[in-house]
Amino acid sequence: MTHHRHPSRRKVLRSFVAGSGLMPGILHQLAAAELDPLAPKSAHFPARAKNVIFLFMTGGVSHVDTFDPKPNLTRDVGKEVKLDHPEIKNRPGYERIFLKAPQWEFSPRGNCGTEVSSLFPHVGSCMDEIALIRSMHTDHSNHYNATLGMHTGSFSFARPSIGAWVSYGLGTFNKNLPSFITIAPAQTYAGTQVYASDFLPGAHQGTLVVPGPEPIANVNPRISTDRQQLELAALQKLNRQHLTSRGNHHLAEARMRSFETAFGMQMEAPDAFDFSRESDATHQLYGLQRGATKGFGWQCLAARRLVERGVRFVELIDTGSSGNWDSHGNMKEHEPLARNVDQPISGLLKDLKSRGMLEDTLVVWTTEFGRTPFNNKADAAGREHHNWAFSSWLAGAGVKGGITHGTTDEYGIHPEKDPVHVHDFHATILHLMGLDHERLTYRHSGRDYRLTDVFGKVVDGVLS
Amino acid sequence: MKALRAISGMLAVLASSGVMVAGEPGGLWSLKPIANVQPPEPAASWERNPVDTLIGGEAPQQADRISLIRRASYDLTGLPPAAELVGKFVADPRPDADAFAEVVESMLASRHYGEHWARHWLDVVRYADTAGENSDHPLPHAWRYRNWVIDAFNDDKPYGQFVEEQIAGDLLERGDSVIATGYLAIARRFGHDIDESMHLTYDDAIDNLGKAFLGLSISCARCHDHKHDPIPTRDYYALYGVLESTKFSFPGCEPKQQPRDLVPIASGDALAAMQVWEKQRDIFKAKAAAELETQGAIAKALKDLAAKNAKTISKGDVLDAGSVLVTENPIELKVRIGEVLQLSILPRANHGADTTALEFSITQGEKTWSTSDLLDGLIDGNPNGTWCFLDRASDLKFLPQRHESLDGKSALQAWKGGDTPSVFVNSSHDPVKVWTTLPPRMFFVHPGPKGPVAIAWLSPIDGPVSIHLKVSDGHPGGDGISWELEHFTSPAIADAYRHLGISGSHQTAFAKHATTKPALPVAYAVAEGKPTQTKLQMRGDPEDLGEEVPRAFLSALGGGTLGSDKSSGRLGLAERIGSRDNPLTARVMVNRIWAWHFGAGIVATPNDFGNHGAPPTHPQLLDFLARDFMNKDWSIKAMHRLVMNSATYQQSAREYSLMPPRRISAEELRDTLLVASDSLDRVPGEGHPFPPESSWNFTQHNPFSAEFPTEKRSVYVMRKRNRSNRFFALFNAADPNASTAKRDVTTAATQALYFMNDPFFHSCAKKFSMRILAHSDDTRARLDFACMELFARRSTDDELTAFEEFSTALAAPKTESWSAYARVLLGSNELLHID
Repeated sequence: MTHHRHPSRRKVLRSFVAGSGLMPGILHQLAAAELDPLAPKSAHFPARAKNVIFLFMTGGVSHVDTFDPKPNLTRDVGKEVKLDHPEIKNRPGYERIFLKAPQWEFSPRGNCGTEVSSLFPHVGSCMDEIALIRSMHTDHSNHYNATLGMHTGSFSFARPSIGAWVSYGLGTFNKNLPSFITIAPAQTYAGTQVYASDFLPGAHQGTLVVPGPEPIANVNPRISTDRQQLELAALQKLNRQHLTSRGNHHLAEARMRSFETAFGMQMEAPDAFDFSRESDATHQLYGLQRGATKGFGWQCLAARRLVERGVRFVELIDTGSSGNWDSHGNMKEHEPLARNVDQPISGLLKDLKSRGMLEDTLVVWTTEFGRTPFNNKADAAGREHHNWAFSSWLAGAGVKGGITHGTTDEYGIHPEKDPVHVHDFHATILHLMGLDHERLTYRHSGRDYRLTDVFGKVVDGVLS
Repeated sequence: MKALRAISGMLAVLASSGVMVAGEPGGLWSLKPIANVQPPEPAASWERNPVDTLIGGEAPQQADRISLIRRASYDLTGLPPAAELVGKFVADPRPDADAFAEVVESMLASRHYGEHWARHWLDVVRYADTAGENSDHPLPHAWRYRNWVIDAFNDDKPYGQFVEEQIAGDLLERGDSVIATGYLAIARRFGHDIDESMHLTYDDAIDNLGKAFLGLSISCARCHDHKHDPIPTRDYYALYGVLESTKFSFPGCEPKQQPRDLVPIASGDALAAMQVWEKQRDIFKAKAAAELETQGAIAKALKDLAAKNAKTISKGDVLDAGSVLVTENPIELKVRIGEVLQLSILPRANHGADTTALEFSITQGEKTWSTSDLLDGLIDGNPNGTWCFLDRASDLKFLPQRHESLDGKSALQAWKGGDTPSVFVNSSHDPVKVWTTLPPRMFFVHPGPKGPVAIAWLSPIDGPVSIHLKVSDGHPGGDGISWELEHFTSPAIADAYRHLGISGSHQTAFAKHATTKPALPVAYAVAEGKPTQTKLQMRGDPEDLGEEVPRAFLSALGGGTLGSDKSSGRLGLAERIGSRDNPLTARVMVNRIWAWHFGAGIVATPNDFGNHGAPPTHPQLLDFLARDFMNKDWSIKAMHRLVMNSATYQQSAREYSLMPPRRISAEELRDTLLVASDSLDRVPGEGHPFPPESSWNFTQHNPFSAEFPTEKRSVYVMRKRNRSNRFFALFNAADPNASTAKRDVTTAATQALYFMNDPFFHSCAKKFSMRILAHSDDTRARLDFACMELFARRSTDDELTAFEEFSTALAAPKTESWSAYARVLLGSNELLHID
């Protein structure tokens, strides 16, 4: 198995098509949208954002230790509270619960003065770009269900992922890359379901990128590209004969074209993941060592490069279903996890902004739920799952930066003002993409399905 | 709020559609009796059978024999036609119709027929080898149902029986029909503790039952009367009661790892052996219990003696991921025969049970006693020569349970007392991956959450000894452990240990006997449960109950009770669904058969015969087929014959015709590659190599996620619900989370990358090229062989020229030309599509 360097991409494509590939006439026929579920489609109304970068923190980030300051938790630490909470109900040892103080200092950031804890100093410096939602809530306190819900709008059943919905609604700009890419070092809760297309056409399923030497499966040629070109030319010759003898055959035509696209992808995907021509300054911005092929800085820079190349929806998952933000035993575990993502995220926002890309790109940051502002001991080292309230944020295209939206009560237990459910969050993301969440439907099993089920309301307060 | 959200998927966007008036005469077409259609006499010479006369129209063009044999072979067996069969058919002097009829017969007789058609049915019933709850527990016995389906197709089990056995095979007691109820048992499981979400599993079962057998979306009536079809919510709960009165095999879940309620399917001999075993177990158990009473006093005497004579030699902590060489310089001390050196490993904090690697040795002159001596004989005994393995939790006792393997790994042997505490070894020269990666040739201790484990050395010698000790955390990520090395300086104490060891002999015997339990075959299936009168759930919320609903059949199909109140009603339900009087059952199945032959059904929505589904394009044909099906004893093979011997089926493939060209499926592709590379293992698959149930500890953090490579047919490949197999997902195989009536066919660049760069594809092409090279020395003969294997035809002159041009351009040795061209041929549209 030898890996050869690629010849110039343009040269290869030209020789491939002109020498022995498809006839121009056939190419023309193939352009029909029917053959291409990923062809760009017009939005329901003018879109504010063309692309989404969706940052998902696995395991449940504590809102009261990061983005939702609660001085009264510190003041009233140890005070007993009575709550009918899903994580303490019938749980031995949790008959009584007490407020637990945050372990990190909050301070005002940017011109807007939004308070962020010392866990996120770099993201803190970007608060003027960010609309912070402090009143998020979700239906389930289980990782699996809450993670599935945050990705598909369904808390139990397998349904299409938000990335698949966006791909289905809008298509993509660059045929040489998938429309929806998930970059994840490990599988999160609910596994492949978080980027599945489910009942939507399979072309919309997320393509998994695993940081490392072969980011997209089978994207590295196993033979020299010269030889591969010869093979593809021979293949297209056979396929052309097959097509000629069969007459109309849209499946065969579409498949012929897919090899052209795959060849392009084989050129373009490694290029997207080759950071060698990125400057030292850019590497530093993301906190990325030159030559590194993993880490969240790598994922963030890859996301920018993919969006630059027209990928519609890029999701970054920071960690897998273990070793993540699920700090039951010790909240101090949040420190290395925050350090892993903080500078890369701010680097991404600053890089997008300096390139003018933040005007077209929506950046979403979320987790599946928050963590309890209480525990069964006031000095317990960890926090439990808390689906009643958590924080998420949006930045970039169409988003009003430097604001906070919604509040929780004095202890961060319940949303108080302007609660935002996961369905509302999804409706807002679709809205920014120019899609009406009530009109983006797909007929399956005799019913029209939506990402937002029968719920969801666009959060106007975060729109610019 | 939560319940409302959870159930509302089915409410989605219904407002715009038409409204069905329930039960109104002249309502839903599919509920009307099946018409007794007399097919017209053939009016044209091309019309061969009633399929043709009912389709009518212009004479279709007969397909050529090569297209026909590939079509029939993939259609019936999912595999390419064997070259001999192709040769025979192409040369058959009889008319097409007669020659082809024989081909159809030979393929229907092939075991591969059932494997392929079972796959269709497994799509509909969303078969998987995992449960689908948060930790996706494996279903090690579900394969019996999968193979039952394969056998049912091969045996041409009458469809009415096929239906009845899947719903109530346990009550029919026809041979192995209880296995068929695996159909119900494989319903998806939900949540963390699946016992708490059984209402969702019942919903999943009702949804599938409705779609698979009746083409009705019954589960739309869970929260409100069906908006379009005559299914009131009461009907939904009338069926719900049937399932609630049924006991489903339990697959295990995060808080309850072990399966239960599996259904024994053992024969008389196996049951008798089990009775003998159980009788012995009761004897051992009684002796062990009696022994425990006296043992307490012995343990106390030993502890008192030890306490009086104890000297702590060394102790300390090993932090998480740490390692401590306790004896930079060996500890030197004097021992007497009968004294004891005892090393304890203790949990350091509340989560402190952790795998600890030990290197511990005692040397006198040339002679050494070491834990490494135990690597190959740990389970020979306890005491084991001079060594004792003890649980120090509360009462001191010997670890009683002898394990010849751990987590299914035979390289690991252990003494255990429950889950933990334990001592164990990795006897292999390789690392073994279990809950962590265990280094080779190493001795381990795993303390229990509540207490330490001790290993005691009973001194057989007098005089000075040197002690070496190294303690390492064997599973980073916990709280670390502590150790304590003590010297008990009474020469009587070794005997006290031996006494305690002997006093535990009945417990050891009891534990050992437990390991000899005969494995009785079980099925993942259902049985009768406690008959339950279900209450209506308001808006599908299981906590908001309304009036009681008696178990009953669907009102649109005549309603009525389902037999005795003392039963679940499943038998009655099975009979009502499998009945000739049910207008849906036969219609739905013949439509599926039609759709699997032609790519599209007479009803375009095979899972939906309701008002939101498509109406039949040929209602007379559908009803004729349905009646004919029942009149021929519900024979699926007879239906294949009727369809495939028609001119309509044998017509030349054309886009937008009744017989359009099709793409082969994921399974057909993989199986074809295995055939071409001559590596297909044609022996039917059985169970998968899941780790033993006793070792399960799957969580949402570490769900079951293994893959088990095999060269068997794709229908035998293990499929998971929560972590899909990349290959099958890439090529549009059915998602086992929901019923699939008709697969999507999508074309994606990532699929093309598979044909360009996938290692499995490359290796199959390489093997195929070796077959081509071995076939002949002549290029034309080689190309003919390759084309015959893949396309069921000889090569053309143009193709020979094309190959030679390719070979010249490649300028490589012949072997490389052929492996390269094998990739071209295996990736070609001609292979991937069926005319």
